[in-house]
Amino acid sequence: MWRLFRGLAAGVWLWGAAWHAPLAYAIDTQLQLKAVYLGRFASYVQWPQQEASAFDITVLGAHPLGEQLAALYADKRIQGKPVHIRTVSRIEDIGTPEVLFVALPTVAARQAAITYAQRHGILTIGDTKGFAELGGIIQITFVEQNVQIKINYDAAVKTGLHIGAPLLSIATVLRGGQP
Amino acid sequence: MKRLLCLLPLWTACAAALADPPAPRNDWYELSLDELVRVQIPPQADVGSRDGTHSALDAIVPTDVYTAEQLQSVGPGGLAQALAALVPGFNYPRPSIADGTDHAPPFTLRSLNPDQVLVLVNGKRLHQSALLHTNGTIGRGSSGADLNTIPLLAVERVEVLRDGAAAQYGSDAIAGIINIVLKGYGHASQAQLGWGRTTAGDGLQRQAALFHSTPLAGDGFINLTAELRDRGATNRAGPDALDGGRINTHFGDADTQDAVLAWSAEVPRGDTSLYAHGHVNRRNSSAGAFFRRADDERNLPQIYPQGFLPRIEPRITDFAATLGAKGTSDSGTEWDLAYTGGFNEFHFYVANSLNRSLGASSPTAFDSGATSLAQHTLNADLRRNFGPHTLSGGYEYRVENYRIRQGEPASWQLGADSAWYPGAQGFGGFAPENEANAWRRSHALYLDLKYALAPQLVLNAATRAEHYSDFGSTLNGKLALRLRPAEHWLLRTSVSSGFRAPSLAQSHFTSTAMVRDGDDILQYGSYGVDHPVARALGATDLKPENSRHFTLGAVWQPTPQLTASVDGFVTDISDRIMATGYIAGWNLAQLSPQAQAILQQNHVDGATYFTNAVGTRTRGLDLRLDYKQELPQGRRWHVSAAFQHAATRITQVNRAPAVLGVDMTDLILDPYTRVTMESGQPRSAFKLWTQYSTPRYDLAFNLNRFGSYASTYGATEVTFGARWTLDAQFSYHWNKHTTLTVGGTNVLNARPAQWGATDDELTGAGKIIRYSQYAPFGYNGAAYYVRLGVRF
Repeated sequence: MWRLFRGLAAGVWLWGAAWHAPLAYAIDTQLQLKAVYLGRFASYVQWPQQEASAFDITVLGAHPLGEQLAALYADKRIQGKPVHIRTVSRIEDIGTPEVLFVALPTVAARQAAITYAQRHGILTIGDTKGFAELGGIIQITFVEQNVQIKINYDAAVKTGLHIGAPLLSIATVLRGGQP
Repeated sequence: MKRLLCLLPLWTACAAALADPPAPRNDWYELSLDELVRVQIPPQADVGSRDGTHSALDAIVPTDVYTAEQLQSVGPGGLAQALAALVPGFNYPRPSIADGTDHAPPFTLRSLNPDQVLVLVNGKRLHQSALLHTNGTIGRGSSGADLNTIPLLAVERVEVLRDGAAAQYGSDAIAGIINIVLKGYGHASQAQLGWGRTTAGDGLQRQAALFHSTPLAGDGFINLTAELRDRGATNRAGPDALDGGRINTHFGDADTQDAVLAWSAEVPRGDTSLYAHGHVNRRNSSAGAFFRRADDERNLPQIYPQGFLPRIEPRITDFAATLGAKGTSDSGTEWDLAYTGGFNEFHFYVANSLNRSLGASSPTAFDSGATSLAQHTLNADLRRNFGPHTLSGGYEYRVENYRIRQGEPASWQLGADSAWYPGAQGFGGFAPENEANAWRRSHALYLDLKYALAPQLVLNAATRAEHYSDFGSTLNGKLALRLRPAEHWLLRTSVSSGFRAPSLAQSHFTSTAMVRDGDDILQYGSYGVDHPVARALGATDLKPENSRHFTLGAVWQPTPQLTASVDGFVTDISDRIMATGYIAGWNLAQLSPQAQAILQQNHVDGATYFTNAVGTRTRGLDLRLDYKQELPQGRRWHVSAAFQHAATRITQVNRAPAVLGVDMTDLILDPYTRVTMESGQPRSAFKLWTQYSTPRYDLAFNLNRFGSYASTYGATEVTFGARWTLDAQFSYHWNKHTTLTVGGTNVLNARPAQWGATDDELTGAGKIIRYSQYAPFGYNGAAYYVRLGVRF
């Protein structure tokens, strides 16, 4: 039996190694749900001025969400505009999207991205612990299979964004640093 | 009628499925915000792969997750009882008249031993109990972790890895891993008051529990859980015809009181988080030994004119604490440093007893000594993601200390009043020469690679090298593959090697007693393998049990709501450690003259010790079906069905020490031991858990089928038939904060099959002991409970 398995494993390995398809992450329900939420968040946020013809969402850092967003919004619109998804690794490359999903590994890097976004009127979203308290506008995490959304209202105001009441009603809202 | 009731959950499942067809995943986009918030992600798991929390459904190796909601829906018992109700292949019999085992019953997975399951708490190894199960129970000759030391209210979920994983996690992960994940950030504080009893009127259960969560900055938290649990004894002993027809024996659950304090905390500071978790549990317990009738030689009528039932009343202290720090470097490398300490002490006290050999001056209560186990573990882990690939590794240093402390002299002494009955009746104390203080150190290095060969094909390769100060080095490996050939299909397979280090208790447990033979005093009992008597009789240092594992399975997920899986597995274990039979000339006909001379020279009547004895193969099949449906008006319906078949057979028998001159089969594999190992646990188990929830109430059913099992009467195998049980629970949400729950366990009052007709005065149909203590769901019958819960 062990010999048979070794042969099988070697065969599968070779088959996989010869497969030249680009690497990607496995289907992940959590990612799919986050992708849906990102678009939904955007529909409850009002930007002071929107002149671009497309609705830009940028993923900053190594995170598989970009692929999910691209797949989900390929044929959909947010705020009446086609959706453009980008993934970048440096803050200098962010540009001025409507939404910035921050997926940087360190607090300092996230803080820098949040500061940049606040200056440019960008909605920041993150899934790391403490993201909202750090100044990020929307934090999305999961506890016991259920979504938990935190909104830093002060950060939204500072960024010049208006967040609709329906979204605030399902979230833990931080005002003055306190929930 | 019972069959109709058993079909009830199935019927509700089918009706709901037909009424509400599953929505396609893309419909999430169409949901309103309120509906979207109610969507739940699949259960997440940490165990099985070192790449962080991942979807259990998508796991590269088969993993089940049981949520707090499920664990709380199957009765008022502790964590072990909840898992026995929900996890197929999790066997948790309720032994009785089995010394210390009554007070911390062992559990097993896949019909293997209690020590062949690794238990983790938040991914950190939980120490085992200091109790070595030495009586004729499931798990004889082993020690296991005591799950009931962890309060249920502190638990967020329990992950059960159904695969060998010693190549990743080290010793013991042979039948699988149970990872208990404690509640972290974002949980509401809550309090519970519970009350219950059996329909027979005994087994009164009272419980008060408080879980309090304090959020800290940066999504940190301090969670505290306190619980007081008082479980009254049950008794299913029959009347004693030789004692006037009165019920003089206790055969049922021990009377236990648990006080538990558990904590879990995380304090983020920039990119570093300090974390801690642990528990302190104190259990006072009381259960009977065999009854001594008034005219029994072991009784002194002047002390107990009506005979006496010795009560074994251990005080069990269990403590575990983890303190660590974790963080992320600028380069994205995640690191984790942690210390985990664990301690368990089993202090034996005996009440309502006597030392027959001391005569009328004997005390009636004794301190019989204690066993304790301390474990200290240091872990250093690193993990780095490279795109879809993850490389992780680490180092582990562990120190273990096992001790036996003597009891008070009267608990073990052989006085002048009797030649035969030394020490406390019920549980003779540990003598000074039984004392042990054994240490062991181990170092481990491990490496784990998860590599995406292609979008649809993921490889997990792991290796772990360990060095133990007592038996030397071991190197193990694991290779697992997950292939997604189509959108709704997942194929997975793994092959691995593993091991279980012999426990210090197996190597050093010594418990002896004395008898007077003329002017000579003979000793008899269990000896550690390094004891001169055991050495002279051929004992050697114990080697690790080595294992090889193979799993092959498939997962089908046609919709986000429905998942089905099938996994087959084979587990080979060699050098399984077992206690020898009683080595004495009068017990082993072929015992060599040399061995008999050794016994005589050492003034020993007979001896047992642990040895690497046999090899086994366990083959089995797991089936899972999970369906969850969101319904209009905030209703939800969830059904989870599971089946397991696992059969173990002995495939190889080691040679017995030459000095004994006997065959290993004669030395160890008497019919009782063979039957216990191969058939003592149910080979099959079926579970069907379903819950229908509305904003106002929850209704849960849990249907169980426990397969047949066997024991022996004399040398004859006795098979006990399969049984169905049904648990039901109804929770009414008074308001957002208050919930009142009523429920019943085993509501159909199923009883395990009885022993057949025997000529034994104690055990048999209609006798004092009618049920086998291997019965997988106990023998209490139906019980009911109420519980008031408040969230705040």
